[in-house]
Amino acid sequence: MAPEGRRPPRVVVADDDVLLREGLASLLDGSGFDVVGQAGDGTELLALVRATKPDVAIVDIRMPPTNTTEGLAAARVIREELPSTAIVVLSAHVEVDEAMDLLAGGERLGYLLKSRVTDIKDFIETVERITAGAAVVDPSLVRELVAARRRHDPLDDLSPREREVLALMAEGASNSGIAGRIFVSEGTVEKHVSSILGKLDLPESETDHRRVLAVLRFLEAR
Amino acid sequence: MREGVSALRRRVGDSLMLRSPVNRAVAWLLAVLGPAVVAFGLLPVRSSVGLAGFLSGSLLAVIVVAVIGGVWPALASAAVALVLGAYFYTLPYDSLNIDVQADFVAFVGFVIVAAVFGILVDELAGMARQQAALRRVATLVAHAAAAGELFGAVTEEVGQQLPADFTRMGRFESDNSVIFVAAWSRTGDEFPVGDRWTLEGESVSAAVSRTGRSARIDDFAAVSGPLSRYAKDRGVRSSAGVPIVVEGRLWGVMIAGSLVRGLPRDAEARLTAITDLLSTTIASAESRAELAASRARVVAAADETRRRIERDLHDGTQQRLVSIAIELRAAEARVPAALTEHRAAISHAAKGLAETVEDLQEISRGIHPAILSKGGLKPAIKTLTRRSAVAVELDLQVEQRLPEQIEVAAYYVVSEALTNIAKYAHASLVHIEVRASASVIELAVRDDGIGGADPSRGSGLVGLKDRVEALGGTITVTGAGGKGTSIVARIPIDGKSAPEAKGPRS
Repeated sequence: MAPEGRRPPRVVVADDDVLLREGLASLLDGSGFDVVGQAGDGTELLALVRATKPDVAIVDIRMPPTNTTEGLAAARVIREELPSTAIVVLSAHVEVDEAMDLLAGGERLGYLLKSRVTDIKDFIETVERITAGAAVVDPSLVRELVAARRRHDPLDDLSPREREVLALMAEGASNSGIAGRIFVSEGTVEKHVSSILGKLDLPESETDHRRVLAVLRFLEAR
Repeated sequence: MREGVSALRRRVGDSLMLRSPVNRAVAWLLAVLGPAVVAFGLLPVRSSVGLAGFLSGSLLAVIVVAVIGGVWPALASAAVALVLGAYFYTLPYDSLNIDVQADFVAFVGFVIVAAVFGILVDELAGMARQQAALRRVATLVAHAAAAGELFGAVTEEVGQQLPADFTRMGRFESDNSVIFVAAWSRTGDEFPVGDRWTLEGESVSAAVSRTGRSARIDDFAAVSGPLSRYAKDRGVRSSAGVPIVVEGRLWGVMIAGSLVRGLPRDAEARLTAITDLLSTTIASAESRAELAASRARVVAAADETRRRIERDLHDGTQQRLVSIAIELRAAEARVPAALTEHRAAISHAAKGLAETVEDLQEISRGIHPAILSKGGLKPAIKTLTRRSAVAVELDLQVEQRLPEQIEVAAYYVVSEALTNIAKYAHASLVHIEVRASASVIELAVRDDGIGGADPSRGSGLVGLKDRVEALGGTITVTGAGGKGTSIVARIPIDGKSAPEAKGPRS
């Protein structure tokens, strides 16, 4: 599924569960990616990334030795040493702080729930988008943020359509992506977006990544 | 609590059967005045009331004196009555001569009756006082007076009343040593409370530990052993100790000593009177400490099990299900496009599996919040409030990580409160306040609902109480009259006020 005439994206997969890792690798392999290596923990992953300089690294958050947030730590190092490497972090739970922390690191980042992997088509598309530069957040995380009940909730000022658009913005969809998802023209999406930003008093952002972060921060802090 | 302990001090004095100087003075005064008042009061009618009337009246005075001052003033009172009776109420009147022999017999009878009454009344009054003291001690214990504070008050009172220059209360340990749990001294010398002393060599504590009986040393010149050396270095003249027996076993020793004068001869007997009271206190304090410790163990064991189940589910079952789902998807991709039905069947199975994984995540989150062990209270409580069915205002001031048990307890206070509010409160807003200082974490969850939360209704609130109290904390649920419900909890962080550290060990 890689674009015609271009070399397939090179990917490394890091997860301590061998079965899952192998499964992911063979999936990616069958979907037009070039799997250049696999790792079982953070140290292995870093060595592998330094050696192979992949386009994208898919990393489980929870890996040995402490099974807490090794994946995040490794992601941070990769971001610092090889900022052009796209990173997809897989988490077992929706954890907002974790995602925010990660996304503050810049573009080409994704935070996905592990169970998302089982929807292959969607997962592959998402990895491709992240590799191409997008910031992507798992829809369940956005759903949780949007659903949180607040007194004097600024979201009450939004129309149902605007809320839908806001959620897609938070997931990392571009205006054209949003247009495709809700079956309207890109111009209409633009109108919705500027109306939302106005009502919530959010700044216009020059990149999608900044927009994702701003929207998430807003949702989290409201 | 302060008043409680000072009340106890008074009771302890009573149970030593010691009377205050005021009581004693009043008793002696009455011993003289009582019979005199009776004698002069009845004087105008002495020919009709006779000796018998006078003696009956005097007997009343003797009993009153016995109640107030004990047996000795009572006997003195009887003697005064004897003289007054002989002078005013036997023929010839107004002389100490006694003409009628029957009057002699009456006097002998009177003395015997007065002595018996005096002794009985004295003992009865003493027993009544001791019973009252026991009741008060029991009440104090029931109100969870800190054992250390009680013991401190008791040692001081024993020292003041005996009188002694110092008193100590020690607990025997299994390795032939004693740990002193409370100490008092008249000069304010600090005896190291909490230190362990070996019982080798000769000392009052060693003798009590060995024999289970009271012991006394009146000359420290020749004895050896660390405790006796300590006594010798401090210039102790004499020292006595009695066993403290708790529920049939030798628990420890109560020691009194003096520096200059020797101890009173009946020091051991007086000390023994107090140890009965103490054993009740100690038994209750011990069972309370044991109860708290076992509660804490039960809670910790349950938490550990839940954490393990969550980890197994997450690292094992859930991962496996995800990889099986991926395998299914891979299989689906390999099925020739023409076999649409087969493809659809595999796809359906994979989708069902993915949903199962999500259900499983929800379940394991309910079993133990992984985010709590990973990120601490702050993200965990934020997550709870985001998932709350009722709007939440959150004031969260916890920057540091806290001991795990405390984080778990605090988390469950908020989580249980939110669950209850969603189920019963009909509230539109919840205000949650969480503040942690270096020594305590305080949580308050208040809603604007219908109130009437009943802690005995759900097992949830009872479980919270167990959890919080096992950590030495407190939790109160208030909410009557439709003004919302509030749950306020305080949990100490330093661990010093944990119940295991407070009560005596066995």
